[in-house]
Amino acid sequence: MAALVGLRACLSALQLSTPNLLHSSFKICAVPLSRRTFAAEAKKTYSRDKPHVNIGTIGHVDHGKTTLTAAITKVLADAGGANYKKYEDIDNAPEEKARGITINASHVEYSTANRHYAHTDCPGHADYVKNMITGTSQMDGCILVVAATDGQMPQTREHLLLARQIGVEHVVVFINKADAVEDKEMVELVEIEIRELLTEFGYDGENTPVVIGSALCALENREPELGMNAVLKLLEIVDAYVPLPKRELDKPFLLPIEGVYSIAGRGTVVSGTLERGLIKKGDEAELVGHNRSFKAVITGIEMFHKSLDRAEAGDNLGALVRGLKREDVRRGMVMCKPGSIKPHQKVQAQVYVLSKEEGGRHTPFFSNYRPVMSSLTWQINATLTLPADKELAMPGDYTSMTLMLIYPMPLEKFQLFALREGNQTICAGVITDILTD
Amino acid sequence: MSLGFLARTVAKVSVCQHVQSLHTGCKLLAAEKALLMKLRKNTGYTFTNCKKALEKFDNDVTQAETWLHEQAQKEGWTKANKLEGRKTKEGLVGLFIGNNEAVMVEVNCETDFVARNEKFQQLVKNVAFASLAHRQKKDQAGYVKNFLSTEDLSKLSTADGVSLADQVALAIGRLGENMSLKRAVALGVPAGWHIGSYVHGDVGTQTELAMGRYGALVVFEGGKEGEEEVLGRKLGRHVVGEAPESLGNMDDLPCGESETRLLPQTFLGDPSRTVAQFLRGQQARVLDFVRFQCGETVNEEK
Repeated sequence: MAALVGLRACLSALQLSTPNLLHSSFKICAVPLSRRTFAAEAKKTYSRDKPHVNIGTIGHVDHGKTTLTAAITKVLADAGGANYKKYEDIDNAPEEKARGITINASHVEYSTANRHYAHTDCPGHADYVKNMITGTSQMDGCILVVAATDGQMPQTREHLLLARQIGVEHVVVFINKADAVEDKEMVELVEIEIRELLTEFGYDGENTPVVIGSALCALENREPELGMNAVLKLLEIVDAYVPLPKRELDKPFLLPIEGVYSIAGRGTVVSGTLERGLIKKGDEAELVGHNRSFKAVITGIEMFHKSLDRAEAGDNLGALVRGLKREDVRRGMVMCKPGSIKPHQKVQAQVYVLSKEEGGRHTPFFSNYRPVMSSLTWQINATLTLPADKELAMPGDYTSMTLMLIYPMPLEKFQLFALREGNQTICAGVITDILTD
Repeated sequence: MSLGFLARTVAKVSVCQHVQSLHTGCKLLAAEKALLMKLRKNTGYTFTNCKKALEKFDNDVTQAETWLHEQAQKEGWTKANKLEGRKTKEGLVGLFIGNNEAVMVEVNCETDFVARNEKFQQLVKNVAFASLAHRQKKDQAGYVKNFLSTEDLSKLSTADGVSLADQVALAIGRLGENMSLKRAVALGVPAGWHIGSYVHGDVGTQTELAMGRYGALVVFEGGKEGEEEVLGRKLGRHVVGEAPESLGNMDDLPCGESETRLLPQTFLGDPSRTVAQFLRGQQARVLDFVRFQCGETVNEEK
């Protein structure tokens, strides 16, 4: 597994798109270190001893997001949980490619005593939305950075709106530059104000943790109360306040079917990569998709021609199922825990339209356009409808849309998909809601 | 609560008396705090400045507010000079259609967060109306197409006499990002001509302007009675979508996908016809067009 993780990181570092791996359950751990750093430490393996969490920073450009990130790595480097990254090393928001889409984002990784974090920072709204659509780093929580000197900015409203839009439930506030304010009561006012704003945007403003400190002090080893200790306190709070995402292994199992074979004397075998959960011999399963649905029992699991008792998310396997004929099953169906995933025909989605440079269309498209929708292992035609206030979708846009499939297929919220035309990918998207007709 | 507050303040004062003597003003009392909150809420200036203002005018909110407004202009310029040179790639294209005239402007900022803020949108609106007023002053007859560069725009002023350069500085001070007035175009057409327009990615502002990431103005004549607006919108949409570079002739033969002349291009939304064929059907004639894409590099437009 470590090898696979290393491979993923390596590919990211080389800025290749890795759709298959992205679909695997190892969404974590892909902390594309800058190429330079990577070359020097190419053989370091990622150890999976701590649960992984994705967080991000949002805030005004001059309020010290990058300084805070640098300070976190510095403070944790002293405890052995990170490599110290200087401000200059982080502040680049390099272009990276995920699912063929160019995103400006900087990623940094570090570990506290309890958790491993991937920390993302993007310069713009569009980049955060692309991040969500490509599923590269779904943010489990975020740190809102506000300078004590300025207080919240007019655009802080837009920042919180974004956090809502990309589904961030847990926000922690860091009031930065507290060393530059003489009067500590001013800081209190900043805090009161930000709590009010959080409440206005539907967050629990009263109980949102707020940490007051100065990232610069931490970097320069001054005033430990505002510097190092505040950063440590922030991390402690993030550890406690942002809940752990549910592990892929703990979810009900899902196997998108890639192939079906009939083995003489034994029965029908379905193959694919287990998307999530784990399966054991004797488990009951349901096979859904392409207007069919069957119940079956898994009577055997094989990987690399060796039989095994259980398989975990990420394993590429073949499963022998009892009670099915080969003709019953088709590629694109899923094998899942009975009842855990249902076919749907109409969905709401958030979509990024690939630009010409990214290999997408060079002209816009309208409502009623019918591309091929491809997700998991299935591809079928779908008709798209743009929102009422949008006449057309231009390459490079991100937009919401409704998709109507020609018939129901297994779909659920947050599932990633692509829209294709010929052999060209024109959109990447994520399902935001299931609609009933 | 205020008692406790007082006790705390007293304690703090006694502890850090030596510090106290260093800077003017004493610790805030509850009443002042409320005043400060109010001033901040009303004006939106930073707490530091609001406090300075209150101290300066002995808690007179009205005077403090006036002073803050004056101060903001000065600070805006300081900030603007400090941020000068930072890249501005985001922003908005603002478009306004008047009576036989139209204006389209592009104002840039650093992040799309700021572009979504109403304070920035207000700036775009001011720039648009200043450019429009500038054209009206010239009072030229016939077809007028007036391009304005960054320098030209900085020299203009809004109706209340504040120069655009000052307004940009003010916005920079408020929003803390570098901004630039990239370009503007103002059109005036004689009677009988029409201006079609389309803005893509409309952000849905409160102002009279349409604002988005792309904008197009198309000058045309003819068209069926009462349908000019729809026709103009369709043409504008085509210009935004297909990004033609020149007009071309009605009889030009199309040369495939990479056609950059407007008239021989395949009409957006109706692949069976070229723009020229579509126009013949509508008995209309396109005379000129302008397309702005937010953040694009400007080639010499004259």
